Amino acid sequence: MIVTIPNLGNISIAAKALFDGLKIPYIMPEVNHNDTLKIGSFYSPEEICLPFKIMMGNYIRSIEKGADTILFAGSCGPCRFGEYCELQMKLLTKFKPDLRFIVIDSPLDIGKKAFLKRLNEINLSSSASRKEKLSAMLAAYHTIRILDQIDAKAHELAGYEREKGACKNLLYSCKREASACDNPVQMLKVLNDYKKKLRQIPLDYSKNPLKVAIIGEIYTIIEPFSNLYIEEKLMDYSVSSKRTLTPSWWLKDTFLKPLKINSLAINHAAKKYLPYKIGGHGRECVGESLLAQQSQMDGAIQIMPLACMPEVVAKSILPSIQREKDFPIMTLVIDEMVGEAGYLTRIEAFLDMLEYKRKTGVKWAVCSSFPS
Amino acid sequence: MLKEYYLGIDVGSVSTNLVAIDQNGTLVEKLYLRTSGRPVDTVKKGTLMLTENLGDQASIKAAGTTGSGRKLAAVLLGADVVKNEITAHAVAARRLYPNVRTILEIGGQDSKIILMRNGIVYDFAMNTVCAAGTGSFLDRQAARLEIPIEEFGGYALRAKTPVRIAGRCAVFAESDMIHKQQTGHCTEDIVAGLCEALVRNYLNNLAKGKEILQPILFQGGVAANIGIVKAFEKELGISILIPEYYDVMGAYGAALLAKEELEINQRETGFLGLGNLKHEFTVQSIDCAGCSNLCEVIKICSNNMPIAYWGDRCGKWGDLTANELVQSYK
Repeated sequence: MIVTIPNLGNISIAAKALFDGLKIPYIMPEVNHNDTLKIGSFYSPEEICLPFKIMMGNYIRSIEKGADTILFAGSCGPCRFGEYCELQMKLLTKFKPDLRFIVIDSPLDIGKKAFLKRLNEINLSSSASRKEKLSAMLAAYHTIRILDQIDAKAHELAGYEREKGACKNLLYSCKREASACDNPVQMLKVLNDYKKKLRQIPLDYSKNPLKVAIIGEIYTIIEPFSNLYIEEKLMDYSVSSKRTLTPSWWLKDTFLKPLKINSLAINHAAKKYLPYKIGGHGRECVGESLLAQQSQMDGAIQIMPLACMPEVVAKSILPSIQREKDFPIMTLVIDEMVGEAGYLTRIEAFLDMLEYKRKTGVKWAVCSSFPS
Repeated sequence: MLKEYYLGIDVGSVSTNLVAIDQNGTLVEKLYLRTSGRPVDTVKKGTLMLTENLGDQASIKAAGTTGSGRKLAAVLLGADVVKNEITAHAVAARRLYPNVRTILEIGGQDSKIILMRNGIVYDFAMNTVCAAGTGSFLDRQAARLEIPIEEFGGYALRAKTPVRIAGRCAVFAESDMIHKQQTGHCTEDIVAGLCEALVRNYLNNLAKGKEILQPILFQGGVAANIGIVKAFEKELGISILIPEYYDVMGAYGAALLAKEELEINQRETGFLGLGNLKHEFTVQSIDCAGCSNLCEVIKICSNNMPIAYWGDRCGKWGDLTANELVQSYK
């Protein structure tokens, strides 16, 4: 069995640590680029959302390199994402008839028995001892946790750095070095080193950078290729950005879900505007925009793939928040385009708008005559 | 005595517009050219034409660029300000109408709505997926009907009963138009129907949930089309204003921003002068194989000397200093 997974931001680095530790043969997906999307959309239904197409591109390239098993975290239908694996199985078995799909769904959805059976499928192909398995899982968990921390810190500090580009370059070399490690212990060491290095970047706290929250559909905000590297762009503009939805957030959320104590702050914040689960991360999107507003950020950018149902619902709620809470929010819809001109225009105009708003101190809510 | 001017250039997909403003921020000279898919040549030609019109005693004190080709134009000229077209349009509109509250802008490939409150941008939107409501689509339809684009609006005004045409998608709109024409509707009614469809599409696509308050300015090349103007007024039920320099507002905004930049920061201009424009500029794209990102890097050369790179994510090319640029040539 040679396992592969779809690309999803930092997850592929943590998964590498996991597979190395479990001694499972694997093929890591290529870094996403235009070719991934090109081949992915060729084999995907025309109307499906963007993440599906990019994932297909990852799978096909990995299968070509010899992968025969795809490991995927499903979610049994909060939105189209829940049907991804079924459809991808149908499409890909045409490509490679003996392809295996191991879909890890929540035990709440598929039952404990099926869940354990699926886990065991991975377990069986591992030649590691029980102790090694446990430590591999722990190491993978720490890897993703620390990686997300480094990510978040670098995105935040980019607004304060004395030497422009210091945070971005550090993040780059951190990920490059981490990906090159071939055992989890070494990788953790690299990450901890970079965590320390990040603290040593010279900062200027007298700067008062714009602070922007990145909210929206989870895949498109985590996987930088799909959002045309928005976080890197914001770093280039010396903006401090913050994103709550990360792989480690998702892990925590999934584990706490059965106890119904997941995402309490977000759900509480969203209550007035969207008290229901509408699938995907629609409620989270609304809640996060309100949390960002409460934590004195300057604005939020919502990112969603074209025709993403939960985010469309959230999108229609955001203008009320913008109006009533005096908090600018911009929505960017992404699809198969790779041309950046219009995208950059919107981001730059949004940042200009936030800057002017700060400079003049105009209250948005006063400007509008809408009844709230 | 030398007269000092500030230059503003808007390099759009369809047109390249240039303006020169004087010390008081008044527009002195303007130029509206077709980009014709060759932005480098158009910027060179346009700048030389504009400065010629300004006379011998003119000197350019600073330059600002905007539009989708702003980065390219900035490298050619050594611009002091490189600004997105939304901010540029808003700045120009506010200068002419300080109390403006809504700006409708329709250009060649995209359309925008900008809401202004108390003189600052409050909200904006840009068309996302379809170019149905934009100038290039109108151009195409005018060409198909063999009507000069300048007379397009006049046709719409003469219509008695405008036909209904689907405006959501350029392809649907065109097949609807052909269907109506084959069933015998007159050209005037079809043209008027098209104008109404575009306005409906614009309002549905961009203005949904946005509060359109007077005074409303209509900018961009399409504002010359009286048919569209009337369709807007009919749909909104309020009158709209067309600024005198509606077709070069983006460039005007860029010039104003360049002037402001120099005045506020009290710095020297980076403008490279007209002599620089006589150089031979070439644009080349290279696939960087430095890492797995495989970026498509753009290389701009002036007389075969690399002067700028962009398109890379890591900064390996984009962050090169002047000295390193010379090195990369060797």
